[in-house]
Amino acid sequence: MSLFRATGLNVEVTGSPYPILREVEFSVEPGEILALVGESGSGKTMAALAVMGLLPFGIDMTTGEVKLEGRNLARSDGTVERDASQISMIFQHPVGALNPTMRVGSQVARAIQFNQHVGRSSALQTAIEMIGHVGIPGPEQVARRYPHQLSGGMCQRIMIAMAISCKPRLLIADEPTTALDVTVQAQIFELIKALVEEIGCGVVFITHDLGAVAEMADRVTVMYGGQVMEELPVAELLGRPKHPYTRYLLESVVQEVDHRIEDIGVDFALTGCRFGHRCLLAHDSCNEYPTLEEISPGHRLSCFAEKAEAP
Amino acid sequence: MTQVPEPSSKRPADSQFVVRRVYVPKEQSLPRRWLSFMRANPLFTIGLILLTMFVGLATIGPFFVGDPLRTNITERFSPPSAEHWFGTDVFGRDVFARTVHAARLDLSIGLTIAFVAMVIGSTVGVISGYFGGWVDEIIMRLTDVLLAFPGFVLALIIVAALDESLLNVVIAVAAAYVPYFIRLTRAQALVEREQEYADAAQLAGNSPFRVAFRHVMPNSLQPALVSATLVTGWAVLTVAGLAFLSVGIQPPQAEWGVMVGEGARDIITGEWWTSLFPGGMVVLAVMAFHFIGDDLTEARA
Amino acid sequence: MKRVATSLLTILGIVVVVFFIVRVLPGDAAAVRAGPYANQELIDRIADKYGLNDPLHVQFVDYVSGVAQGDLGISIRTNQSVTRELLDRLPASLELAVYSVILATAVGVSLGVLSAHRQNTWIDRLSRIFAVVGSAMALFWLGLLLTFFFAFTWRWFPGPVDRLAVGSEDPGTYTGFYTIDGILSGRPDITVEAFRYLVLPVITLAFVLAAPILKMVRSAMIEALDSDFVRTAKAVGVPRTQILFVDGFRNALIPVTTTIGIVFGFMLGGNILVEFLFSWPGIGRYAFDAITTRDLEALQGFVVLVGVMYVFLNMVIDIAYAVIDPRIRLGGGITK
Repeated sequence: MSLFRATGLNVEVTGSPYPILREVEFSVEPGEILALVGESGSGKTMAALAVMGLLPFGIDMTTGEVKLEGRNLARSDGTVERDASQISMIFQHPVGALNPTMRVGSQVARAIQFNQHVGRSSALQTAIEMIGHVGIPGPEQVARRYPHQLSGGMCQRIMIAMAISCKPRLLIADEPTTALDVTVQAQIFELIKALVEEIGCGVVFITHDLGAVAEMADRVTVMYGGQVMEELPVAELLGRPKHPYTRYLLESVVQEVDHRIEDIGVDFALTGCRFGHRCLLAHDSCNEYPTLEEISPGHRLSCFAEKAEAP
Repeated sequence: MTQVPEPSSKRPADSQFVVRRVYVPKEQSLPRRWLSFMRANPLFTIGLILLTMFVGLATIGPFFVGDPLRTNITERFSPPSAEHWFGTDVFGRDVFARTVHAARLDLSIGLTIAFVAMVIGSTVGVISGYFGGWVDEIIMRLTDVLLAFPGFVLALIIVAALDESLLNVVIAVAAAYVPYFIRLTRAQALVEREQEYADAAQLAGNSPFRVAFRHVMPNSLQPALVSATLVTGWAVLTVAGLAFLSVGIQPPQAEWGVMVGEGARDIITGEWWTSLFPGGMVVLAVMAFHFIGDDLTEARA
Repeated sequence: MKRVATSLLTILGIVVVVFFIVRVLPGDAAAVRAGPYANQELIDRIADKYGLNDPLHVQFVDYVSGVAQGDLGISIRTNQSVTRELLDRLPASLELAVYSVILATAVGVSLGVLSAHRQNTWIDRLSRIFAVVGSAMALFWLGLLLTFFFAFTWRWFPGPVDRLAVGSEDPGTYTGFYTIDGILSGRPDITVEAFRYLVLPVITLAFVLAAPILKMVRSAMIEALDSDFVRTAKAVGVPRTQILFVDGFRNALIPVTTTIGIVFGFMLGGNILVEFLFSWPGIGRYAFDAITTRDLEALQGFVVLVGVMYVFLNMVIDIAYAVIDPRIRLGGGITK
């Protein structure tokens, strides 16, 4: 049984006819790192916020199942009842994601206090330990600092400490290193991998950087325009992806084909496959909605073109 | 079925693909558009209606009502009635007539003040923001000093120091609001002078003054124009407040603040209409300006 | 320390401006002071007495040195020291001001927080309407309205006579605040009475002052609640009430403090109107009397005092900023 399985996620702006996410699904096995890949606007952050129950005001999840270890956390009204010991999340701009008027140690301690129901002082102690655990030297001093006094890398470690301290079953990392230096990036990756080993949680790693995917992920789910395009093991992503969009992504990065002239962005008003209006293999049936189907073990595809063509 | 610009790499020649869209907005008829605009911006609409009413009152009202200065002792202190809509005051003057005439006075003063303050303040602000350096420093220090006084107090002393005349009232109250405009346009000018067109104008050989006034200034005016509505409201409020204290505009002139001032003591004996009606007009007028001004500021942000 | 220097400079600027306005603007100063019934001899005597015939710079230096020592001149009307008279009346104005700001802040903050928390509900709409009406409100009209209904028609509160009923004893003067002095000198009934007289003017002022506070609290809270760190707190499981106050409000505090400062400043001006309307013996009233009697010395003194208070207030606010926001207090300084 999968550790985590989200299916049928449909998210829209309240009162608008255009869906932001359509029938999105992704799953994570125990101890596995799943990469959620796509360009900006593909909906990957929305999908994460949706399963966390953190959708902003004015955006709702109309349907969806969010199953953690078999149990569905989603309620019928579209809300998700989740606590931090189940799924935890870290975000993209670490310094901005921490309360500027509160010492970082207290912020970590808060998380511990409210999730493990312990007193303030013991929570603070544990917080200092966790800060040291994520690789920050001199945790007692650092805990007394404010976020603006720390570098981006340190703030990200603090956020990881916050997330991990609740001992979650699943950790979602939304572009954790995009705002950081490359050298710091590597360190953060190492840290996440080590923690996965240690705690045995699953990770959903959101990114648009295929290099990071190659380094971190076991499996990959590719999204575009709020729809899932393909789901495959990382080796196959780098070798033989099937979906036109995935191939397009790979080309842009690996072979440096310049696709810029075609960049016309996502058009949310389209029916059917959202990649259709940019896809070279598009034909009439692409105005219908494709579904994810398994074409080989561990490899699922959502496309009409491939069926028309011989593999 | 609308077309989407084709990517440059071509699809296979036999591809028949045309995209289909979920939802195409339909054209709305003009009245429906107004209605939805009004429903979406209720306060603005109310403000606009009120303002139109006041402008109408101010411009053509005085032709239709009686003489604001005509006294009639036998009719003093009559409560609102069919004959005197707002009743009469201590001298038997028709309160409604006075109120309408006062509308003309107050609104025109308010607009004038806002205009003067805006013109002077914007000019100084653009100079300060564009030229920078010690000019900016000095202007900023002066503005700080002026802003150290609450507007009302500043206007009060200026009027008190000068003679009591309408012109001086305008000068005094405008002086209280000039710093506000200076700050506003200066901030915008600081942004505008970094823009490309400013460099271009300078490179084209224009003197710095020309660049400042012909090019940067028009673009820096936008926040000032938006605020002008709000300032008009404040100006009316300040003038009325001063007049209430019999400073600036004085009885027997028909001005809302003056009327409230005169009528204040009538309250004790229960004649509320002499003061509460004109005062209510002030509040309504200022609210109208605020409704409009607030919405404009929010829309710009 | 730099702030102190700029503040002093501003005070100096204020004195200069006031001086200029009063003495340099058109109108024969001495004649104005002497009033419309004076003859030439009287005018000359006054000119002499106040040194108005001295060259301008001499007058200015005189005045400034006086101010530096706390001497604001002699009131023409009463022949008393302006400083003394102002200081006598200051507690009355302060009492009014402080209570008004407290009430306005309480109302503004609570409605603002509620409004931001539950946007687009009826309470939000109501608050916003209140904010607009409050910012457009004419103080003198509101005061009259309240007086008419509550003091005369329904007689719940006393009319605009003074701070206490005629004939009541002064409590011993400790703070100058009648509400506090009453208790301190063992006369709680005076405290109650003082409160009764305070109600209407305070409500009038607070109504207008609450509006900008409410607006600012609401918008600052909305912005704070929309921010990334609130999202992190929610992700981690911090309960909603704590998020509202610790993450939301604490970070909204800076713009809110600025607004409270502005409000205090406005009140120094609004005080004239309210004090006049409610016959409140404060500095605003004094200023008004000075104006109507052309007592320019007193008026000058009033303006200088107000300016000084305002500058002092800004200093206090700057200090408050440092206390609230660790970014201001500690500066940047990234440690690795």
